[in-house]
Amino acid sequence: MIDVVFLLIVFFMVTSEFARDVRAELELPKLEGEQRDESEEAGLVINIQEDGSIILSVSDTPLQLDELEQRLRDTFQGQGSTEARVLVRADAQASTTRLNEVVRLLHEVGVGAARMGTEVPPMGGRGGAP
Amino acid sequence: MRFQPRASRTRIDRLTLNLASMIDVTFLLLVYFIVSTVMARPEDQLTSSIQTRDSETSGAEIDYQPQVVEVVQLEGRSTYIIGDRMLHDLPSLTTVLKNLPKEIGVFVRVSPGIPVEFALAAVQAARDAGFQQVTYVPQL
Repeated sequence: MIDVVFLLIVFFMVTSEFARDVRAELELPKLEGEQRDESEEAGLVINIQEDGSIILSVSDTPLQLDELEQRLRDTFQGQGSTEARVLVRADAQASTTRLNEVVRLLHEVGVGAARMGTEVPPMGGRGGAP
Repeated sequence: MRFQPRASRTRIDRLTLNLASMIDVTFLLLVYFIVSTVMARPEDQLTSSIQTRDSETSGAEIDYQPQVVEVVQLEGRSTYIIGDRMLHDLPSLTTVLKNLPKEIGVFVRVSPGIPVEFALAAVQAARDAGFQQVTYVPQL
C-alpha cells in the first residue's frame, strides 16, 4: 500500500510539473471567460510575457516571430483549421502589438479560432478589467 | 499436562501493523496537495474567430452591415468605439452590445499599443451580451 501511495505521489508531482512547464507565470487578464462546464484540451500553448517575448514553455528560450511561425507550421501540418487547438496566454499588461502579430500569424498558418487565456477573478468579480 | 484455552493462543499469534510510516506518507501527500492548490490560479478562456482585415474586406457581397467594436488609443486613453459612440468601460460596452442583434455576430477590431486586458475585455463584453460569434480582427 505504501508502494502505491509513493507511486501516486510521483505521478501527481510529474503531471503538475508538466502543467506548470507549459503555463508560464503570467498576470492574465482578470476576466470571467466563457465559464464552460466541460474542459477542453489545451493544445499548443503560446505565452506572451509583459515585455512581449513569446515562449512555448517555461524552459524554452523566447522565440522570434519567424521561429514561432516555423513551429506552428510544423505542429499544424496536415490539420484542418477546426482541429488546430491553440491557447494564447498573454499578460494583461502586454501590448496588443505583439498579440496582434501572433493572432495574424495563427491566421496565416490556417488556425481559424484562437482561445485567449483569462484568470478568473475571485468571487466572480470583474477584476482589473476597465 | 498443561491445557491452554485456544483463544489465548490466537491472541499471542496476532500480527501487528506499524502505521507510523503510512501516516508520514499521508501527511506528505496532504502537504503536497495544499502547496500545489495554492500555486494554481483558476484560469478560463475566451474563444474568438480570427480574421485579418484583408480577408474581411473580401466578403464585400454580404448584404448586412457588420457590427464592429473598435478598440483604439485616443488621447492616451484606451477607448471602445461602436458606431458613433465612444465608451471607456466594460459595463457600458456590455449594455450597448446587449441592444444589438446577435445573429450576425460582432467583430472586435483591435489596434496595436493597447494593454491586452483592455482588448480582451471587449471580447468578454460581447460574450456577456450574448454573442455566439465573436471575431477578433488584429490590426498591425
